[in-house]
Amino acid sequence: MKMTPTVIIVGILSLLTAITLVVIYWPYTHRVTAPSEIFRNRSPEEEAGRKIYLANGCVYCHSQSIRAFDWGHGAERIAQAGDYLGDEPIVLGSERTGVDLSQEGGEHPDDWHVAHFMNPRNTRPSSIMPPFEWLGMERLTTLTRYIQSLGLKNADDRMQRQRFFKQHAVRAFEAGPVENVRWLASEIPEGWHQIPNPYPTSEASLQRGHKIYQFFCIGCHGPIGDGMGPAQPWIYPPPLNFTLLKGRKLSGGILYYQIMNGITGTAMPYFKRELESQKIWEVGNYVAVYFINQSDANQEPRGIDSSWEPGFNLKQKSADD
Amino acid sequence: MPNHGPENLSNRNRTAEAFTLTSAFWFAAATSFGLIAAGYLIAPDFMANIEYIHFGRIRPMHVNAVLFGFVTPGLLAAAFYYVPRLLRTRLFSQRLGVFNAVFWNITIAYGMIAISTGHTQAREYAEFPWVVDIMVVVCFVLAVFNILMTVRRRKEPILYVSIWYVCAAVILTSITYCLGNVIWKPDTGALQGIPDAIILWFYGHNIFGLLLTPLALGLAYYVLPIATRSPLYSHTLSLLGFWSLIVVYTHIGAHHLLQVPVPTWLKTISVVDSVAMVIPVMVFLINIWYTVKGKLGEIHSDIGAKFVFTGTIYYFFVNIQGSMMALPYVQRITHFNNWVVGHAHIGVLGFAGLLALGGLYYILPKLTGRPLHSRFLADMQYWLVLIGITGFAIDLTTVGLIQGNAWYNGETVYRILPEIHPYYVLRASLGVLIVIGAYTGLYNVIRTLYFNRGAKS
Repeated sequence: MKMTPTVIIVGILSLLTAITLVVIYWPYTHRVTAPSEIFRNRSPEEEAGRKIYLANGCVYCHSQSIRAFDWGHGAERIAQAGDYLGDEPIVLGSERTGVDLSQEGGEHPDDWHVAHFMNPRNTRPSSIMPPFEWLGMERLTTLTRYIQSLGLKNADDRMQRQRFFKQHAVRAFEAGPVENVRWLASEIPEGWHQIPNPYPTSEASLQRGHKIYQFFCIGCHGPIGDGMGPAQPWIYPPPLNFTLLKGRKLSGGILYYQIMNGITGTAMPYFKRELESQKIWEVGNYVAVYFINQSDANQEPRGIDSSWEPGFNLKQKSADD
Repeated sequence: MPNHGPENLSNRNRTAEAFTLTSAFWFAAATSFGLIAAGYLIAPDFMANIEYIHFGRIRPMHVNAVLFGFVTPGLLAAAFYYVPRLLRTRLFSQRLGVFNAVFWNITIAYGMIAISTGHTQAREYAEFPWVVDIMVVVCFVLAVFNILMTVRRRKEPILYVSIWYVCAAVILTSITYCLGNVIWKPDTGALQGIPDAIILWFYGHNIFGLLLTPLALGLAYYVLPIATRSPLYSHTLSLLGFWSLIVVYTHIGAHHLLQVPVPTWLKTISVVDSVAMVIPVMVFLINIWYTVKGKLGEIHSDIGAKFVFTGTIYYFFVNIQGSMMALPYVQRITHFNNWVVGHAHIGVLGFAGLLALGGLYYILPKLTGRPLHSRFLADMQYWLVLIGITGFAIDLTTVGLIQGNAWYNGETVYRILPEIHPYYVLRASLGVLIVIGAYTGLYNVIRTLYFNRGAKS
């Protein structure tokens, strides 16, 4: 084959044209995508927030593309082509240094986002996201509107739930600590009230609880559990002050439930995606021992002790029989 | 074997000089941006709240400066040197060439300022706003014009394989750049929804497939036979490698979208032919490695050839890795994490970057008629960059496996962050080596071009 300029130029251009027609033009013209069931158009303010999101490179760490085998944030809904109809450009992302944001809208209330933007370590102590305080409150508010729209109709449902429970949470907080604690406990299914922390307190378990506390809780509840962590100025109702809770009949089960499920409407997120059972019990017991100064760990009723637990008391057991 | 033109053809090649300087400068700038970005990943409050170098802005600045400031001009510098020589003629217009290089720098600088001030289209590799897009296209069109006119005025009837690759790279990129940047929509530079992802990754992939790779292969085809004084192993393999590259590389961009709702047939094509990428790559490598067989001594004695040959080894690795990553089963683990970042660095720095540097060092003594200012500094740069990129490859691949496997087993993104922190520290440390290498190279290039006190060879 003799490679003349004509052969080269005509050859490469025909190949590129053919390939472009097949892999770009064909799918573009022959695929009509219907809006998915969660699709809606964004409001002008959400659209303005999206511009801030694009201008500041959020897309380099946050994907918007939930896959069939994902477990984390937003994994309840696998992405469909019809979700993206309003996106120009589409920002699927190529790297997940932070969480996927496809379904972020309504996962947290607005005040959590403000605290988080001011410095992400305010609410998420191990985060490596840089602070966005420099955007200023006006742009942060607009950006938050976009973030809260992610997930479209699903996000709207979640936001409605956030707003609904926020009213209750604010009312309870403003009625004082007694009413606040009563309200918090009253929202928890009855069975959990009766369950003590099933694991005994040990030096090692407190150390593990301490570590979990530092990775997840310290930003809001603070190093001494008084609710004065660095996120506190941005959050309302403010983080719970654990030191007021002694003698208020907070079982290990109540603490467990709150950590697992969060308190929608407040900045308290759920941790069930990030912490397995033992970690939740142990951070709960850490809070109970150090900040509330009252723990029900390993008290009755407790069933058969786990095989790893030290200190088997045969006498006590046979007395029960 | 490529023919040396007679000496009287080589008046000072200002175009090649200007592109050499461009490349060396942007290598230093781009790696500095990269190091700042790596710093943010270790200590996010480091330089907190400085808007213009914030992570979300410095990262695309790094990527674009590497692609369009460092590697492309570096490979073009060599092309502007070897194209006239292979055609036994002069470059069509030195004046146009120098203007091209100056305009190129203005374009990249403008693009950097745009991204740094938040004027970005937020699509990877297509961040530049519309005005800069137009300027980039003008840069490529000027290069196309200058090169094609040189081809037209050639005195050598036979076109050597390097010429094919250079022509293909500049012509096709002028087109894919317009397509990928959706240049007919100045406002957003994007389509709506899923088709935007399809066109973006068609383009993004072809920045490697139709720009960096052909330019780099053209360079290797020129430098290695001459440096080892060996005839090219096979003309047939050159043909097969060239046409299979154009056919296969061009249409597999959808392997970036295997986990996204795009048409299944498109994914299937991209997976199958990503594996088929082994053909053009191995054909090239067989051809070039057989050409230099038994001649490692010659390669070792020429610093330019040393960079180029090392780059071809990285080409082997990046291709095997790339074909493997395109398999859906593998991609469940490797997608969305630092594995891909590692792959990009192996490809762009390990392969195309090393070749660009090799091109610079190969042509510099020929451009100036004097030896390099310092062979020691060039060797030092070789080792700094080589250790840096090899470390990157190992470090980022390891982090990617940690992240990918943890996520696949149900750990959340947040839980893995403290675990990968030490790897980010190592990555930044290796980055320091590369940055030092880049500045060493810049110094060496400037000294060689303008303040070289060595004897004329």
